Amino acid sequence: MSKIVEISPTTRHEGHSKLVLKVDDAGIVERGDWLSITPVRGVEKLAIGKTMDQVPKIASRVCGICPIAHTLAGVESMEASIRCEIPKDAKLLRIILQSANRLHSHALHNILTLPDMYLPGTDTKINPFTPQEPVRSVAKRIQRLREIGQTIGQIAGGEAIHPSNPRVGGMYKACTPQAKNKMYDLAKEGLTLAHEQMDFMIAILRNFQKRDWAEVAGKQIPIPKKLGYHNQGYMASHPLYGSSSLDSNPGWDPQRWTDVRPWDWYMGEGEVSLADPSYPVGGTSPVGTKVNPQMEACTGVPLYDGAPVEVGPRARLVKFKNFDEKGTIGQQVARQMEYTDSVYSILNALDEYNPNGKILADHIPQGDGSLGWAANEAPRGTDVHLAKVKDGRVLYYEMLVPTTWNFPTCSQALAGAPWQLAEIVVRGYDPCVSCATHMIVIDEDKKIVAQKLIQ
Amino acid sequence: MLYPEIVIAGCGNPLFADDGFGPAVVEELLRLDLPDNIKAVDAGLGGPHFIFTLLDPEVTRRLIVIDTVNFEGRPGDLVRLTVEDLPPGSYRDAHSWDLTEPLHRLKDKIDITIIGCQPKRVSAPEFEMGLTEEVQNAIPRAVREVLALIGVDYGTTIQNLRKGEHQPGAEGEACGES
Repeated sequence: MSKIVEISPTTRHEGHSKLVLKVDDAGIVERGDWLSITPVRGVEKLAIGKTMDQVPKIASRVCGICPIAHTLAGVESMEASIRCEIPKDAKLLRIILQSANRLHSHALHNILTLPDMYLPGTDTKINPFTPQEPVRSVAKRIQRLREIGQTIGQIAGGEAIHPSNPRVGGMYKACTPQAKNKMYDLAKEGLTLAHEQMDFMIAILRNFQKRDWAEVAGKQIPIPKKLGYHNQGYMASHPLYGSSSLDSNPGWDPQRWTDVRPWDWYMGEGEVSLADPSYPVGGTSPVGTKVNPQMEACTGVPLYDGAPVEVGPRARLVKFKNFDEKGTIGQQVARQMEYTDSVYSILNALDEYNPNGKILADHIPQGDGSLGWAANEAPRGTDVHLAKVKDGRVLYYEMLVPTTWNFPTCSQALAGAPWQLAEIVVRGYDPCVSCATHMIVIDEDKKIVAQKLIQ
Repeated sequence: MLYPEIVIAGCGNPLFADDGFGPAVVEELLRLDLPDNIKAVDAGLGGPHFIFTLLDPEVTRRLIVIDTVNFEGRPGDLVRLTVEDLPPGSYRDAHSWDLTEPLHRLKDKIDITIIGCQPKRVSAPEFEMGLTEEVQNAIPRAVREVLALIGVDYGTTIQNLRKGEHQPGAEGEACGES
């Protein structure tokens, strides 16, 4: 008879989500529901009536880890609506920013992946923060790749976290020849490191693939050969950057997108009937906990051609580079293969970039209310923003963020895995769930706080 | 170098009303002509993974975090906290393998101060922009506190040190030069 396990919250990814898993007697997932439990509402409403320059800045605040993707998709959806082509050198700066962001993000994701993996030839799981070799030099390389990505992004984008340089019609500031050289030097250093890191990660992932078991909470859990397999399709708008409705051959089609409500998709009411208090971190939900994914899911379910699709590195490689490996490890390998592409695209864009070139369109139309869309290939998948702009003001705005596409697909990929490995499948998607507020709550002795008041 | 000797990180989400206090203080600090060894960053929600895990204690000696803190004070009240004062999970980095908090990892190597403001209204989960008047009024006090902490004394002429007035040519500055 099926039992229900709940892992809430899932860990080692951005935002808050949970897993509700219906498992058989052997603990194998029969049906998995992975859902966002972060209620975030109202960006579409908030955008209406704001200027087309304000809205991308608002969009960039929706998530703590994808502000660059949201800024670019936001700006470009406005440009798509008003039909504004930007100068080539502005586009090149955006490509540099995009690629630098991907370099940083993939390196950050390695820190998230490595603790599930083993040192080849041993039964020792990898601790990315150990001071011992060989992991120490890997951790240093990851940090350096992140620094390089963030520094290049800061130079091209104005700021490393919330980029201030992109604007509707192009970019605010050009990069000087000195800044171009600095980015070039950093990218050259990054290229060597990216090759090394890609080779290292693929070796680690292949080693995991050959293993029979993985240790979870002191138990040896068998690793199925088809871990993370699903039969859904893939969606990617471009191998590197993105696409928009201005393109002569657009990489995404709004006609093929539909949205269904969570209650059409997720499981209904149930009760946890299997629990493991030793499961990291802090155990699964106790037996008797009520679950109701239909009502708890905080996002709609977007479909492409009427079905869920996978977005992200593997989708890009499948669509544009004939990659065909399925499963969690295939997905992770695809991500590593994007390392060097990210750096080469920075170098190629810098070769073409002219510091004296024009970076702002001569004429920025104010819009007639036409629908425009822009898809940005964020590190974790296609991020589509749709907009209607009239007289410089936004009439309509919608964001279809990458992990929202992946929720239903990943849910299908969970079937067949031992429930203890479900989070490994989830992490393969590099999930980024919408962020909530960040406020510290001090609920202890208020006297301490009183003494620390600033007069 | 991505982060210099002194880093000021404004944390929070401007889409949740007063939760945008940290970024608003940084916006104000960026209008000042700060010394080269100081960097003020609008960290948004990305403080833990974009900044706190990327600081090099060999270079960065001081970190000042500006954020909203609910300590049941009056809206706009400011507190100065240390890492030890923070409840568990305050700046947990979701990407950290063991959920260890990066500020705890750094606190013995970098001098860390948190300046917290009591919010009046945090609108989550609904998006709402704009600080309440009380929290808006706390911005100059927070700026003065930061300047005192980093030892920059602009005396009473602080308003004259805004970049636009101080450096008429600043508009023409190209990215990557600073």
